[in-house]
Amino acid sequence: MKIEIKNLKHKYPSGGEALRGINTAFEGSDPIAIIGQNGAGKTTFAKHLNGLLRPTEGQILIDGESIHEHTTAYWSKYIGYVFQNPDNQLFLETVRKEFEFGPKQLGVPRHEINDRIDFVSELVGLKHRLSTHPFDLNATEKKFCTIGSILMMDPKVIILDEPTCGQDVEGNQRLTEIITYLKNNDRLCITITHDMKFVVRNFDQIVVMAKGQILMSGSKNLVFSDTKTLLESYVTPPPITRVGQALGLKDISFSKEEFIDHFTRRLHQR
Amino acid sequence: MTSTLIQVSHFSYRYNQESEVALKNVHLEVAAGEFVAMIGANGSGKSTLCNALVGLIPNYFVGYSEGRITVDGKDTASVSVGELSQTIGLVFQNPFNQLSYTADTVAEELAYGLGNRGVPRDEMFSKIKKIAELMQIDELLDKNPLELSGGQVQRVALASAIILEPKILVLDECTTQLDPIGSEQIMDIIKKLNESGITIVMVDHDMERVAELADKVYVLQHGSIVLGGTPEEVFCSPQLAEFSVSPPDYYEITKNVIQPGYREKDFALTESQAIALLQEVLYEDRNQEPQA
Ligand SMILES: Nc1ncnc2c1ncn2[C@@H]1O[C@H](COP(=O)(O)OP(=O)(O)OP(=O)(O)O)[C@@H](O)[C@H]1O
Ligand SMILES: Nc1ncnc2c1ncn2[C@@H]1O[C@H](COP(=O)(O)OP(=O)(O)O)[C@@H](O)[C@H]1O
Ligand SMILES: [Mg+2]
Ligand SMILES: [Mg+2]
Repeated sequence: MKIEIKNLKHKYPSGGEALRGINTAFEGSDPIAIIGQNGAGKTTFAKHLNGLLRPTEGQILIDGESIHEHTTAYWSKYIGYVFQNPDNQLFLETVRKEFEFGPKQLGVPRHEINDRIDFVSELVGLKHRLSTHPFDLNATEKKFCTIGSILMMDPKVIILDEPTCGQDVEGNQRLTEIITYLKNNDRLCITITHDMKFVVRNFDQIVVMAKGQILMSGSKNLVFSDTKTLLESYVTPPPITRVGQALGLKDISFSKEEFIDHFTRRLHQR
Repeated sequence: MTSTLIQVSHFSYRYNQESEVALKNVHLEVAAGEFVAMIGANGSGKSTLCNALVGLIPNYFVGYSEGRITVDGKDTASVSVGELSQTIGLVFQNPFNQLSYTADTVAEELAYGLGNRGVPRDEMFSKIKKIAELMQIDELLDKNPLELSGGQVQRVALASAIILEPKILVLDECTTQLDPIGSEQIMDIIKKLNESGITIVMVDHDMERVAELADKVYVLQHGSIVLGGTPEEVFCSPQLAEFSVSPPDYYEITKNVIQPGYREKDFALTESQAIALLQEVLYEDRNQEPQA
């Protein structure tokens, strides 16, 4: 599945221009991170990819077909968006009902829905919470509930808007498992996040946004070496990378292991 | 002499519909001017403790509590949340919980709390202008609070708590939706507030930041405080991993590349410490090169 975005502009009725001409394309199943300044337009952009918002100008093509040709309900089969604020997405009385809702709309047979519930509730860690009211879940459980209800529809592309907010060590690990699962099953996962530790651990394709535009797209190596673009988009490299850079180590480090390796090599070079 | 500003004595709490307790025999003292961080896994009770400190528990939530909390000498169970809010302000984990839902603009949102407190109009305007500049939300003042980006709402939520100038600020994961540089800027503001005498209680999952800013760190697990002390005492504790918390990355990298006992401190907890220590190692090695 290929998503092409051509000169996408968006102006909210009440406000200024949130998107000022986006040109890019997404394809394949290597997970992609979108990072950048608050108000850059990340959420606005993501909401265009399954038709939740309509472009003021420009177009979005999905496998060559304009997104205008069908409704959001139609596209939700292919492209799922998980809201930044879970309260905007949850509306039923139990987690189970939230999970069932999407696939029921798509006409997925009962037995398959049940199989999916088993699998998805395990993946998002809510197996023991299926009969709980979503509003009795804590913030991160709510987030996993919304992720689960989109996974239940088994879309080809899934967009997670700030899933890392407030996650603890285990929650981050769970997100990594979800992202890995999607990749291994040939699904494209696009994740918006401000957590750079999480970005370098899970993504090697990064899109950097600021002020309604994409400033740069590239590997984590490229992005986190580009001081000027980072500054412009209000992003800083993660802690380990920063230390490596401050010490002037030749190769960029993202993990502890890389840092230890690069540092020891530098010591022994002398 | 430092005076105790917050005193939590053997406090336990269970939410009405839950079978498990959310807080279990919590005992905690916070001195005036202290910067306290609370860390721990999701569901460990951090937000519940925040709610209890500002009196929402037991005055607003339905549940069962035991023990006692006093804030600036006032028993949280016997004064109203409104009265307590003159002393202690909370920034909610979910910034939308901070909004009044009666304001049409961000400026009105900021005025809301001041109005409740009888601040005169012209004083109100100058306060709003000042806080908006400080928090970099001047451009949002005329916007509808419900038509903002996530990070923008979080800034407004913070501003609406800070504008009331409480003695104590309780920050429940208040920067999770901010971009990295914005988040650093906000933490600088919080740090300055603390230096000016305001007591800070901060819940955060960012251990690098906790190590950098906090005087005291408390670890919660299953509703109990299981570990507490200076950042160094907590992050060097061999028990830490049992509580699902990892030390700052700076600790892990320095511990790994520096010989034990290299200096009186063979590890770093903050970025500047790590860079200084590792530079020393590199530099010293260069001096030894001729003998090697
Ligand atoms: N419903 C809305 N009505 C009017 N303006 C809006 C609305 N939602 C967002 N905006 C504005 O559009 C711009 C882009 O917002 P968006 O939510 O896309 O940013 P973002 O990059 O997701 O930011 P964050 O990192 O804070 O979530 C911002 O200036 C914001 O104030
Ligand atoms: N409003 C509430 N109603 C019922 N239970 C709650 C509520 N808020 C929190 N809990 C429960 O209390 C426990 C502690 O949660 P919380 O204080 O939110 O932890 P943390 O902030 O550390 O993630 C959890 O078991 C959670 O499910
Ligand atoms: Mg957003
Ligand atoms: Mg919490």
